[in-house]
Amino acid sequence: MKRQINYFLSLCALVLILASCQDEVTSTYTYRTMLPVYLEMSDVRARIIAPEPPQALENPGKIYIYGDYLLVNEPTKGIHILDNTNPANPINLNFIPIEGNIDLAVNDEMLYADNYADLLVFDLSNLGNIRLVKRVEDVFLSQYVHETGQIITFKDTVITTDAPYFTGRPEWGWLVSSDMGFRANFSAASQSYGTGGSLARFTLMSGHLYAVDEYTLRVFDVEDPKDPQFIKPIDLGWGIETIFPFQEKLFIGSNRGMHIYDASTPSSPTRMSVFEHVMACDPVVVNEEHAFVTLRTGNTCWNGVNELQVVDITNPYNPTLKKAYPMQNPHGLGLAGDYLYLAEGNHGLKSFDVSDVMNIDQNQLEFLRDMKSVDLIPGPKSLIVIGPDGVCQFDYSQPNRLRKLSCIQVSNPIVIN
Amino acid sequence: MKLRIFCLIICFFFSWVSSLAQEKIYFTQNEIGLLFGKGEEQWDGSSERRVDFTLQTFHGAWIGKKQVIGFSAGLDQYDDISLIPLAMGWRGFLGKSGRPQFFGGLDLGASTALLEKKVRTEWQESWYEGGAMVSPSLGVRFPSKQGQSSLSFTLAYKRQELTYFEGALNGGGIIFPNNIGDIPDGFNSIFRRETIFHSLVFRAGLMF
Repeated sequence: MKRQINYFLSLCALVLILASCQDEVTSTYTYRTMLPVYLEMSDVRARIIAPEPPQALENPGKIYIYGDYLLVNEPTKGIHILDNTNPANPINLNFIPIEGNIDLAVNDEMLYADNYADLLVFDLSNLGNIRLVKRVEDVFLSQYVHETGQIITFKDTVITTDAPYFTGRPEWGWLVSSDMGFRANFSAASQSYGTGGSLARFTLMSGHLYAVDEYTLRVFDVEDPKDPQFIKPIDLGWGIETIFPFQEKLFIGSNRGMHIYDASTPSSPTRMSVFEHVMACDPVVVNEEHAFVTLRTGNTCWNGVNELQVVDITNPYNPTLKKAYPMQNPHGLGLAGDYLYLAEGNHGLKSFDVSDVMNIDQNQLEFLRDMKSVDLIPGPKSLIVIGPDGVCQFDYSQPNRLRKLSCIQVSNPIVIN
Repeated sequence: MKLRIFCLIICFFFSWVSSLAQEKIYFTQNEIGLLFGKGEEQWDGSSERRVDFTLQTFHGAWIGKKQVIGFSAGLDQYDDISLIPLAMGWRGFLGKSGRPQFFGGLDLGASTALLEKKVRTEWQESWYEGGAMVSPSLGVRFPSKQGQSSLSFTLAYKRQELTYFEGALNGGGIIFPNNIGDIPDGFNSIFRRETIFHSLVFRAGLMF
């Protein structure tokens, strides 16, 4: 019994020693951010750009339809070229590696693509021998530091830091917040999917290439497709997101409203009006009488609403809201005749007959809830829809009965929120 | 052959159960008590003592005259956070039955924060998750005069993990690439506060 008491007392002592330990608390804060990466433009220009064998689509950005071909941008990395002769079976042909590439456009067999500060021109007349034919230097200056000849880019990164106390989260310091970084770089790239798409930032009209970044419209004369000439930048204000050309007018979507520019003098567009709305993300498509604008909430536009607005633009100097329809989380949209196709983010894909703009909600033709989507392009052969499942194509000869033709899988699908 | 083995197992099982039944098969211990600990060190080196409420129920089967194995469940209240510990347990006794006995125990398992609700606002979401739990214990029991039950007093050490998460929601518009680090989908950032509670536990209860 004595031995048992000894055991008991020693174990009690052990327990007391253990119990004297303090609670251990460790706090960490993990966040997405963009680390600045400085590049010498002279180094970027010195690198030889040559087409490479086809590569799997990783995280597609913009899409451009060019004849029987689909050009798919891989944000900041380059451009995939796919043979889309048969939309049910697109074939990946090759990949053009272009650092810093965000947007593209094709004009008479000439591919225009941005390469950080420069505009590149590739000759696509022979896809077996794609050649870089021209470099227009120092035209996209939002990331460019003239004095040093450096480009500041941002590498998306996840950082975990120790945060010893709940209220002691690390300061941003020299890091860029994730919202800012992605808005400036990745998001700008991946939310726009090419000319013809409502989220494009490059567009061609009347022998001119128009490119928008967050603040500026840049105008290029491309009368000679092989030899683009930079004409001038036009300040637009902040929050510029998309550009859509229609009948010598440019409809520029910003998160504060829709700008209408008269481009009847293509080299010098002039502002006609600004249709203002609450702060929201807003791609635009138009026809002769109406502009269809989707507003949605988002990181850059928290105060926004989720709705489709129909704006009367018969007098482009005085656009007026005709009607607004509540939506779930509308992203990109596309117009084909009287039919409007609308990407509802995680909620799916909708099609409407918009011949009667006052009763669009009564004329919803189809709602594919399982087709999550962020943007779409009604192409000549198929409706191309971009979403987390990849790049999918639909036969839309019957707008009320979309038929899936194919989906190109991507290795790192986007997440819609 | 299979039938013979099956019959042998059945015979063995019933002979074992009947041997257990001669004494007692099931064992139950219900306890209530307090958790004593010291909170995290503050910036000035001080720390607050904490005293929290705990209760535990253990259910097991005798695997001999001196040992019991089974499962335990309970409720541990740390300030305003409730944890439910679920564990596999062992109890061993010293001394003659019918007299006061010392006993030792070990509970190994995990805690869950099921009782804590997720809080979601337009901007963020916060929630708790439990973690591993281990608790060695020592005690003494005093049998009643009839011998059917005992009063028990337990002194134990309990190590219990709890993590608080607070994530900034990724708003409706920004589209991020997937698989980016260990931030869950739908969030821009995540704050994790992992706490390991080290407590001295005193419980009183009844054994049956």
